[in-house]
Amino acid sequence: MTIDDQLRAILRDVLGLSADRAATIDAGTPLFGAMPELDSMAVAGLLTEIEDRLHILIEDDEVGGEMLETFGSLSAFVKGKRGE
Amino acid sequence: MNGRGPRVHTYAEGEFMLAYGPRNGPQILVIQPLFEELNRCRAMLASACRALAERGVGVWMPDLPGTGESLRALDTIVWKDWFDAVGAAGSVVREETGSEPGILAIRGGALLDRPLFWRSLRLSPTSGRSLLSDLRRSALASGSDPAHPAGYTLSASLVEALAGAEPAPEGDILTIRLSTDDRPADRRIDGQPLWRRPEPAIDIPTEQALISEILSWARP
Repeated sequence: MTIDDQLRAILRDVLGLSADRAATIDAGTPLFGAMPELDSMAVAGLLTEIEDRLHILIEDDEVGGEMLETFGSLSAFVKGKRGE
Repeated sequence: MNGRGPRVHTYAEGEFMLAYGPRNGPQILVIQPLFEELNRCRAMLASACRALAERGVGVWMPDLPGTGESLRALDTIVWKDWFDAVGAAGSVVREETGSEPGILAIRGGALLDRPLFWRSLRLSPTSGRSLLSDLRRSALASGSDPAHPAGYTLSASLVEALAGAEPAPEGDILTIRLSTDDRPADRRIDGQPLWRRPEPAIDIPTEQALISEILSWARP
């Protein structure tokens, strides 16, 4: 799986999205504040799953609206962390 | 459903353990998920235990000290208490059935199956560090004190032990993960991570897939 595929799978798992809905997520898809399932508690689970499955560590002060604004920004953050 | 509910046992000086199904045949000792994940998975686990019992498997599900029905407060618990409790629960199973139980360890439960047991089925095993991160982030998200995240007050000793805890690699282990999770695993099932749901949930396909894996593991 590519990083983006893994991120889609994580969003699907954490938020309980259908496979069809997860497949429609692309770089421009807005996340925090736009996706009703992604409340602040779900963000906690999302970040931990990303850490575990993509082998990065996310500091609390790195988490913000910008990083979670769109799928593209989340993906860019993760890829940056992985040095890709 | 055979109409008979689970039996209530005690172990380790008054701790609470439910037992389902026959005393002959394969026996399974369940080490449940830790913290909030336990609550989220409990309904599915109880349902799965009943289904396994109906298929001739004895299932034993202790509440660890400081969790579930335990009378002890979580903030008095140290890591060794949980290892000792798992060992004591296993002793009850051996005394009651004459059989060595296989371990069904779910999520953080997989941190506790060694060294006292050898044969484990681990569902989505996770690290102590990851569980602590979840607790801390949940506390931040809910505006509660990170030292007492989401109502869970842990002793400093427990936090320290959890921070370095990983599932032990040795032994006869069958690791099962969800098909959406590409970390190393022996088997994958199509299902939902109920330990991530905000409310306790049962998902029939997930439960059926898990039961099927457990049955073929318990009755090789």
